[in-house]
Amino acid sequence: MKRKWLWSTVFASLLIVLGFMLPQQRVQAAEKTYTIGTDVTFAPFEFADKNNKYVGIDIDLMNAIAKTEGFKVDIKPLGFNAAVQALEAGQIDGVIAGMSITKERQEKFSMSDPYYKSGVVMAVAKGAKIQSLKDLRGKKVAVKTGTASADYANSVKAKYGFSTVTFDDSNNVYDNVKTGNAQACFEDKPVMQYAIATSYKNDLELAKNFKMAMANNYGIAVKQSEAATLTKKINAGIKKLKANGQYDKIVRKYLGNGSEASQAKKTAAMQETDRSFMGLLKSNWGTLMSGLGETLWLTIVGIVCATIVGILIGLLGVVPNKFLQGVSTTFIYIFRGLPMMVLALFIYSGVPSLIDQKVPAFIAGVITLTLNEGAYTAAFVKGGISAVDGGQMEAARSLGLPWGKSMRRVILPQGVKIMIPSFVNQFIITLKDTSILSVLGLLELTQTGKIIIARNMEGFKIWAMVALIYLVIITLLTWLSNWVQKKVNA
Amino acid sequence: MSTRVEMKDVRKAYGDNEVIKGVDLQVQDNEVVVLIGPSGAGKSTVLRMMNGLETTTDGEIYVDGKDIAHAGKNIDQIRENIGMVFQHFNLFPNMSVLGNVTLAPIELGKKSKAEAEKEAKTFLEVVGLTDKADAMPASLSGGQKQRVAIARALAMHPDIMLFDEPTSALDPEMVGDVLGVMRRLAERGMTMVIVTHEMGFAKEVADRVVFFGDGKILEQGTPTQIFDHPQHPRLQTFLKQVLEA
Repeated sequence: MKRKWLWSTVFASLLIVLGFMLPQQRVQAAEKTYTIGTDVTFAPFEFADKNNKYVGIDIDLMNAIAKTEGFKVDIKPLGFNAAVQALEAGQIDGVIAGMSITKERQEKFSMSDPYYKSGVVMAVAKGAKIQSLKDLRGKKVAVKTGTASADYANSVKAKYGFSTVTFDDSNNVYDNVKTGNAQACFEDKPVMQYAIATSYKNDLELAKNFKMAMANNYGIAVKQSEAATLTKKINAGIKKLKANGQYDKIVRKYLGNGSEASQAKKTAAMQETDRSFMGLLKSNWGTLMSGLGETLWLTIVGIVCATIVGILIGLLGVVPNKFLQGVSTTFIYIFRGLPMMVLALFIYSGVPSLIDQKVPAFIAGVITLTLNEGAYTAAFVKGGISAVDGGQMEAARSLGLPWGKSMRRVILPQGVKIMIPSFVNQFIITLKDTSILSVLGLLELTQTGKIIIARNMEGFKIWAMVALIYLVIITLLTWLSNWVQKKVNA
Repeated sequence: MSTRVEMKDVRKAYGDNEVIKGVDLQVQDNEVVVLIGPSGAGKSTVLRMMNGLETTTDGEIYVDGKDIAHAGKNIDQIRENIGMVFQHFNLFPNMSVLGNVTLAPIELGKKSKAEAEKEAKTFLEVVGLTDKADAMPASLSGGQKQRVAIARALAMHPDIMLFDEPTSALDPEMVGDVLGVMRRLAERGMTMVIVTHEMGFAKEVADRVVFFGDGKILEQGTPTQIFDHPQHPRLQTFLKQVLEA
């Protein structure tokens, strides 16, 4: 009876997982929709506005192109690195994220015609003595990974004698200059002007003796197999929009006439008016709660799958069979040994190219949690069973009970009691570990925080909110676990 | 009289270290055999070999004519007929006294739950613990735990009962209760193999006493032969030490 129950649980969770996969594939089959990845933290090209709606030059432009050319787009804010990796793996059809057109990218992807001409500027702490490249000797410069600004910094750092520190998020780049850990940063002009206009007014300024460098062109990256279709449509669309004035309208909406003052004015209109902690909390409440919802959903599905897998693998580890024990030990060794972020990226971006099949981010996230948390669960399930006095198994076997019956009726009930504190611990760890899955672009709580900060640059206040929400949920989870623990031990 | 247990030149070694060095032993039906000897002599190991808890390196063991050492999956069925009582009781702490006694008959499909519980009460009567049926093991004294363990073994209606130092972990005042139960079993004609340090009990209840030393049987015989006319010098020294203590 018990075994039937176990298998039906496994079956049910498989159905749930499959349930996530099916609708997405059906949508793709029914209508011609291109999935376009974008960055989350590249205002004013893409960012969530105060209503948590994705806006920005790239977003508006992509939608306008699609409309003119008669196709549908599903724009996914994945984060720059995740988006590029997803494109490489064929998970998505294109990326629009203020990508400079470079030789390497042209070889890897089908790059569209240029749609925006940008250039690198240098920003320093307000009132700093450093105002030119020459002043940077022996100093540190902060840049965002994978950007044209980072390329620029690397190309001149030997000549001017500075070193670079790299970050994944623009906000971290600016904060490093603000706090003095780095003395300057390089960034695309509209992006830098946006940041200064939002919350770095009193902290950063454009370096006075730096002429805009390395003019570069933004293009839309498309996967090679769609070069003849999607790239062609995009190029035609850009041309039309530039000719009919729609393009200028979109750019002006965010940058004004391009000067610092004009862009600042436009930017202010897109921001929260109340910048106090409570004000920000109020205006971002809905966004944060939707992030929390995704976090909880990931946690619940992750815990269920990881617990089932963990118990099965843990049991294999105590079966009197050398091969099965080996399977268990190897599983634990590999998945406990791999950093979760590596595992997540491997499953999301590595595996699809191997099996030639898209892995949706949510599924990749759940698989990552299942393998990683499952390995930890298996380890303490094994340990809990081993911790039961050896005399118990001897006594049960001496009565003529077979190994399986002895395990189920005598050893497991005692082992489970030993394991319960570890289970509680693992549930809490799983909840926290979901934040690592933000690298897959999943819109869970941490990623939501990043997105809000990308718009308003209020890193301290927003991270404090995110931290508080995690603490509240973990407190509730701990109470629930303690209550369950009491019930079980009673 | 039929032979219940037959051991032929049984050996056990850990690498080069031989701990059981060729034991030949027979136990007849209705016989009570007591194994004595200094600790480390191998008496518990030999006892545990009789129900396959301990593996052998060489030799043959038959219980009720069935090969124990090479039983494979049949070991469970053979064990149903061999009751085992441990030094540390090994009651299942997650079940009541009644649960402990009825677990095997119910799980192995020997009896319905109602039948098993009804019968369990008669076994609890045998060991004098009728009133403890619903108690949890943790609430029992050592002597009570051991008597429950005996009832649990009896519930499978074994032909043979093995006792591995059943009173060694008990407070002195509890020993009498447990020995009393064992005495009653012997009187009913249960075949029993007992490892114990209770020489008085051995003298009184045993049909045959077997003296172990250094992984071998050094001497065996009736209680009178062993305790009153010991031949082997090791046995003489052993008895002197035990009786003087």
